[in-house]
Amino acid sequence: MAGGGGGGDEPEFQVAPMIDVLLTILIFFMTITSAQVLKTDRTIKLPAAPDAQKKDNMRSEAIVNVRWNPASKKAVFVYDDVEHQHGSDLEPLLKKAREVASRKIAQGQNPNFRVVIRGDQDLPALYISQAMNAAGEAGISDISFSAASKD
Amino acid sequence: MKRLPVNDEIYIGFQIAPMIDVVFVIMLFFMVMAGAVRVEKELNSQLPGTAETSGSADFVDEQIITISPEGEVSLNDEPFDSAKSRALPQLKATLMRLKQNADAAKTPCTVTIISDETAKYSRTVDVLDALAVAGISSVTFTVNEEE
Repeated sequence: MAGGGGGGDEPEFQVAPMIDVLLTILIFFMTITSAQVLKTDRTIKLPAAPDAQKKDNMRSEAIVNVRWNPASKKAVFVYDDVEHQHGSDLEPLLKKAREVASRKIAQGQNPNFRVVIRGDQDLPALYISQAMNAAGEAGISDISFSAASKD
Repeated sequence: MKRLPVNDEIYIGFQIAPMIDVVFVIMLFFMVMAGAVRVEKELNSQLPGTAETSGSADFVDEQIITISPEGEVSLNDEPFDSAKSRALPQLKATLMRLKQNADAAKTPCTVTIISDETAKYSRTVDVLDALAVAGISSVTFTVNEEE
């Protein structure tokens, strides 16, 4: 190249720093895609809520998935990979989960224990209410609804 | 032309060019995937708990949002937006005004969502999303069960 800054040698293209940068970008994209992949039930299509806050994964929680079968018009409640036909079936399980969580935190109830309800977007609101009732009966008043960032 | 001996291993060094090719392809894959990634979000709600009866309880100004079976949203019996509107702009604007007024008057802004039992859950999430935009965190949700 003509008209250099005075140095006689033309600088060569350096491959090593380019690889460093490439790998760093690669790791960046790998982490943001794999860390945020939805760990939800594949059969549930979460409703979209773009303005909701990001899920806090640090809290102790019980996750209730509510599937909806449009063909049979029936909802199935899934907790700990076990299917239940009625929301009231969850009550003793949630109670137990709350007790276990409260024992983990130094004596006394864990005020932060919550129930996360992941419902299908086509689910009638009645079934969400049934899951909330089960949580309420189990003594958990903190309820979070799960949603996706986009459709 | 002289043929190279087949069994002679010639060490030609680590080939950087194919490695860069592969890294580029993997990076492109993850870049495209990053745009389509769906993140899980949460909308919080509290079940109405038991109030202490010994102390005095303040009556709060409660707003009631109802959701009809068709998905029509009404705030205090006044319909807002169409049943097809997912973004609910009118409701969002009204809720933001309500929240500002409540903050100015230093009173809590409590909202109860009463959904019809046959209304879709996604509609409830639309309303909860509008409440999240307005910054109203004191939300309860109940279903209007038919007797």
